[in-house]
Amino acid sequence: MELQINDPFFQEKNKAMDSLYNVLDPELMVNIMDLGLVYDVDFSLEGKIIITMTLTTPGCPMGDAISLGVRNVLNEDFPDREVDINIVWEPQWTVEEVSAAGREQLGF
Amino acid sequence: MVTMGIGKAPRNSAVLPFYGAGTIFFLILTILMFIAADSFKEHFFHPHTLALVHTAALGWGTMIIFGAAYQLMPVIFEEELFSSKMAFISFWFLLIGSIILIASFWFFEVGLFMITGGSAILIAVILYNFNVFKTAVKSILTIQKLFLMASALWLFITVTVGLLLAINLYYPYIPTNHLEILKLHAHIGFAGWFLQLITGVSSKLVPMFLFGKSDKIRLLKIAFVFQNTGLIAFLLDDFFIGASDRVFIYYVLILIGILFWLAYLKDAYKKRLKKKVDIQMRHALISMVSLIIALILIPVVLMVSGNQWSVLYGTFIFLGWISAIIFGKTFKTLPFIIWNMHYKDVHGKKNMPLPRDLYIEKLLFYQFWCFVAALGVLILGILIEEIIIIKIGLLIWIVVALLYVFNVAKVFLHKKII
Repeated sequence: MELQINDPFFQEKNKAMDSLYNVLDPELMVNIMDLGLVYDVDFSLEGKIIITMTLTTPGCPMGDAISLGVRNVLNEDFPDREVDINIVWEPQWTVEEVSAAGREQLGF
Repeated sequence: MVTMGIGKAPRNSAVLPFYGAGTIFFLILTILMFIAADSFKEHFFHPHTLALVHTAALGWGTMIIFGAAYQLMPVIFEEELFSSKMAFISFWFLLIGSIILIASFWFFEVGLFMITGGSAILIAVILYNFNVFKTAVKSILTIQKLFLMASALWLFITVTVGLLLAINLYYPYIPTNHLEILKLHAHIGFAGWFLQLITGVSSKLVPMFLFGKSDKIRLLKIAFVFQNTGLIAFLLDDFFIGASDRVFIYYVLILIGILFWLAYLKDAYKKRLKKKVDIQMRHALISMVSLIIALILIPVVLMVSGNQWSVLYGTFIFLGWISAIIFGKTFKTLPFIIWNMHYKDVHGKKNMPLPRDLYIEKLLFYQFWCFVAALGVLILGILIEEIIIIKIGLLIWIVVALLYVFNVAKVFLHKKII
């Protein structure tokens, strides 16, 4: 996920993405940003943050824990906004989404 | 709001009791094996051997596999488990049935006691089948799902035949030789229940853990056809016509089925991005090697006289193939279940432990090498028919069980720290 400098919510998005680096996939022990699981962070609706993200595999038993992790860190940083999480399966996640730092942590 | 599609783990009561009971059964198994060390030199139709085999197959193998299957069904079927409550009820039937059946074999109490044990296990298996099929109907058919459903059906057939054999011991009514049906019962269990369950689950999980996706699904489809054709043909021929050399044809068919499955795993392994193979996956490698040796031993069991070959075959199946896969998978699943229980709601907070912090990895490493030594020494003892070597091997097995129990207990007893 890339962040543009001219984005009207640059500061908020930057802060949210920083927070999301603290949410780990407990199985892989790599944060969800480096895994490339977060597709979009949307602040355009007032009082809301809409996170569009995926999981490494459908039916993952850790999915609930990961989405709760996202909610927890964002609630702490943005207490005045409600967090909505959309889990999507398109585009399907592949290892191509993993960042260089993530690859190093995974031992690729 | 969180949208649909997230895997909802089943309730802990559907999974954890199986892990707890299975772990204790494994310790009991190793102690019973040591007490009954002489049975490793005798014919397999011996009360103690029958008790050991059922402790390994039901108390240990099936108990843990039920727990793991209930946990992994949402991953494989991509659907929530149909009923956690039904899974919990199946636990009690399997537990009570296993205890009664194992005791009745050990003391050779044929009759109502043994039949009650067998019946309780059959009820547990019917409940398991119901859960598998009700969960399966909600999602699209995949080859892994097909293996899981087929294995559940084969388990039902195995346990039904087992119950009929228990009745036959008390009230003989089966016209065919009891030992011939016993061999069918055992092999439906091996090639139907355990093999197809492990084929299905491993072909989903091994690529996932190794980041080694294989696109050769047709290998698994061929594996399914060969494994099932070989097993069905073997059962029909042996039951209706009788034992013959045609058994080799069925053996080769199942062997081809296994080789196609292993070829799929090899492809995933070759394409893996995660180069470092962790200790859990090393257990899986030992498991596969044990299975291959057991398969090589089948013609020897059929053609060469001597009790040691069938005992060796059973040892590779239960203590090599099935135990190794359970050792590895325990620490790929149990710490995550307990972690989820304690930390799911506070995920994202700093200084939170990770699932791997819930057990001692070094202890698992020691357990792995003790396991390799225990298996090796026991096999040597059986091969040379030397009771002292067998007993040394079985003592090391007790050490393996103690290490395993300690690490599992550490995960179970973990106290939430934040």
